[in-house]
Amino acid sequence: MTRFFRSPQATPYLLLLPAIAVILAVVLVPLLVSLWTSFTGYNLTKPATLFQWVGLRNYQRVLASSDFWWAFGRTVLFITIALNLELLLGLGLALLVNKITWGQRTLRTIMMFPMMFSPILVGFQFKYLFNDAVGLVNNALFDLGLIREPIAWLVDPILANFAIIFAEVWMSTSVFAILLLAGLMALPKEPLEAARVDGCNPWQVFRHITLPFLMPFIYIAMTIRSLDVARAYDMVRIMTNGGPAGRTELLWTLMTRTGYQNSQMGMANAMGYVSIILSIAFTVFYYRKLTQARTFMGGAQ
Amino acid sequence: MSNKLTTALLASCALGLLSGAAMAQDFDYGKFDGYTLKVKLIGGTQYEKLYTRIPEWEALTGAKVEIVSSKNHFDLDREIKQDIASGSITWCVGSNHTSFAPQYGDLYVDLKELIPQSELDKYVPGTLASAMVDGRLVQLPRVTDVSNLYYRKSLYEDPARQAAYKEKFGTDLAPPQTFDELKQQVIFFADPPNLYGTAFAGKDEGMSGRFMEILRANGGDIFDENWKPIFNSQAGVDAVNWFKDIYDAKAVPAGTINYTWDDIGAAMAAGQLAVDLDWPGFAGFYSDPNASKIASELGFATAPKGTAGIRGGWSGSHSFSVTQQCDNKPAAASFAVFLTNDESEMMEAQAGNLPTRTATYPAVKEWFKANDKAFMVDMFTAWEASLAEARTPPLIAQWIEVSNVIWPNVQAAIVGQKPVQQALDDAVAEATVIMQDAGLLQ
Repeated sequence: MTRFFRSPQATPYLLLLPAIAVILAVVLVPLLVSLWTSFTGYNLTKPATLFQWVGLRNYQRVLASSDFWWAFGRTVLFITIALNLELLLGLGLALLVNKITWGQRTLRTIMMFPMMFSPILVGFQFKYLFNDAVGLVNNALFDLGLIREPIAWLVDPILANFAIIFAEVWMSTSVFAILLLAGLMALPKEPLEAARVDGCNPWQVFRHITLPFLMPFIYIAMTIRSLDVARAYDMVRIMTNGGPAGRTELLWTLMTRTGYQNSQMGMANAMGYVSIILSIAFTVFYYRKLTQARTFMGGAQ
Repeated sequence: MSNKLTTALLASCALGLLSGAAMAQDFDYGKFDGYTLKVKLIGGTQYEKLYTRIPEWEALTGAKVEIVSSKNHFDLDREIKQDIASGSITWCVGSNHTSFAPQYGDLYVDLKELIPQSELDKYVPGTLASAMVDGRLVQLPRVTDVSNLYYRKSLYEDPARQAAYKEKFGTDLAPPQTFDELKQQVIFFADPPNLYGTAFAGKDEGMSGRFMEILRANGGDIFDENWKPIFNSQAGVDAVNWFKDIYDAKAVPAGTINYTWDDIGAAMAAGQLAVDLDWPGFAGFYSDPNASKIASELGFATAPKGTAGIRGGWSGSHSFSVTQQCDNKPAAASFAVFLTNDESEMMEAQAGNLPTRTATYPAVKEWFKANDKAFMVDMFTAWEASLAEARTPPLIAQWIEVSNVIWPNVQAAIVGQKPVQQALDDAVAEATVIMQDAGLLQ
């Protein structure tokens, strides 16, 4: 054993040891503890309940709860719509900004402004904008003579979800724009010029050269965003807190309420483990797409 | 002796503001030279003015105060629960609230063991009683929170409206005595989108609290004496219908179902509401001509009664608590008493908050009279009158959890997503499971 540690083969392992230890401490241990608690009646304010084994009770309740599955479905829909809108708008922004030769740096900085706000502040801002009585949106619509009765943006089942997606898109589109702009800036000029010489129109250039080149960037941006989209929790918490009557309930609001407000951490962790399927599915999907896109770029076709 | 002298000198400096309202301090704040007291305090503009008194306590006792956390109450609650879960209670004094206190188990000490009865006698008895959990005084109340009515005098004194109201209902238009009358007036005043009768907190514990208030005023309650949830009674159905009726009549903004206190305050101050059943903290805001359009016409009335002829006033207090793990409990208790003593309470009351010490009420009324704010005297009179009947939410650890099944169901009933009885039955069924899991209900 000692001989192994002194041999050159051991060097990489020894050098990685601190990293492994840190990862074990901050990822694996919490993961195992949370998995354990999902089989207990763990109550955050009663440490003794950490050992109150309840078997599959939490999972049975989660799987049988219609509230949970509604929140699950709504979250999938929310992520799908928000990410696709962010992608389209981000791509558009990146293409526009890429055309600019003068003042591009300033514009890039301005574009990043929404990312600098804390999601809580974004939540308060949009809650105020969409307020039915004193909000800017309704006031503007009244002044333009477009409505006669105030629109209850944060109450109507469709409009409330729209308002939340709108706020999320406002906050996070720039993430896509910045990542895709980086891709555009790294795009080699030669194939573009060659295509133009060959008589391609701008759409053909975009469709067959720019877009395939950008695909890896798009999938990386998608993967990152599908994992950190849960940042929207604070925003939803402030704007509707999942209401009214659960119409905007997402997994994050449901789990946080269960785990922290209700202190039912065991139950919340069970919900977490069921919904982790969602994160894994999205990650696997985008990584596959990423690999495909890179094969394409490598000149295989 | 010199300690007491310093105490007396400093106290009298502070009391200089109060022009004669000063009383001798007989509480000994002690000496804790070189000690650093770690505290977790609620943050936010309306709460932080009091903390300007902390240097006075430091000078008085020789201790230093380190504010290790300053957050809004919901974030603070989450942080404290994480501290309990990780066993890292390294701080001594924490901000607390009646609704939150029962959740924390034995985190906090019984302050009766640290503070002499003579000092505790200075607090409003009902307020102090609501600060107890299982017979233990786990909090020292700082400001009380109970809802009463703000109304716009211009609407109630408008001859055209008075005549129309008399013709329609056969009674004079005056601030309402009962919730039925309030409903009638709210619908009567409504002229959307320019004027709504009122608005209510439609989500979170605010909605549960509003429901509980009317439920109790109607003679019902959340639990029976064996902790069995019983709020799906007729009193409960009537309470939900009260909200549903004014919602369906469009007498409240449609968004009210998503409002919290800040939205309601903004709408009332913008002159969009006729009446507002709300906490005392808004008096200062509504009466400030720079922030509010209704400053010149603000009226105050005690909350209405329900069908059972009683008030169900939902009451609670912001407070300070001392942890069991604290390494210097006398210093912590001294700090908590200092921040709720006569001068501190006077400071809170002058800002429009409802103080927790009996002596502060007459003193602050005098102060308002002397400072050209005579209308605030009416406010304190109306609010003080409701204190006797005010009741706290059920003081059990499961209250917040039960509240979290009540408000989404009440919302569903109000917006017509579920029939009222079914919504309450659903909530009762969920609440019953919570109480059974907790072992409180067999």
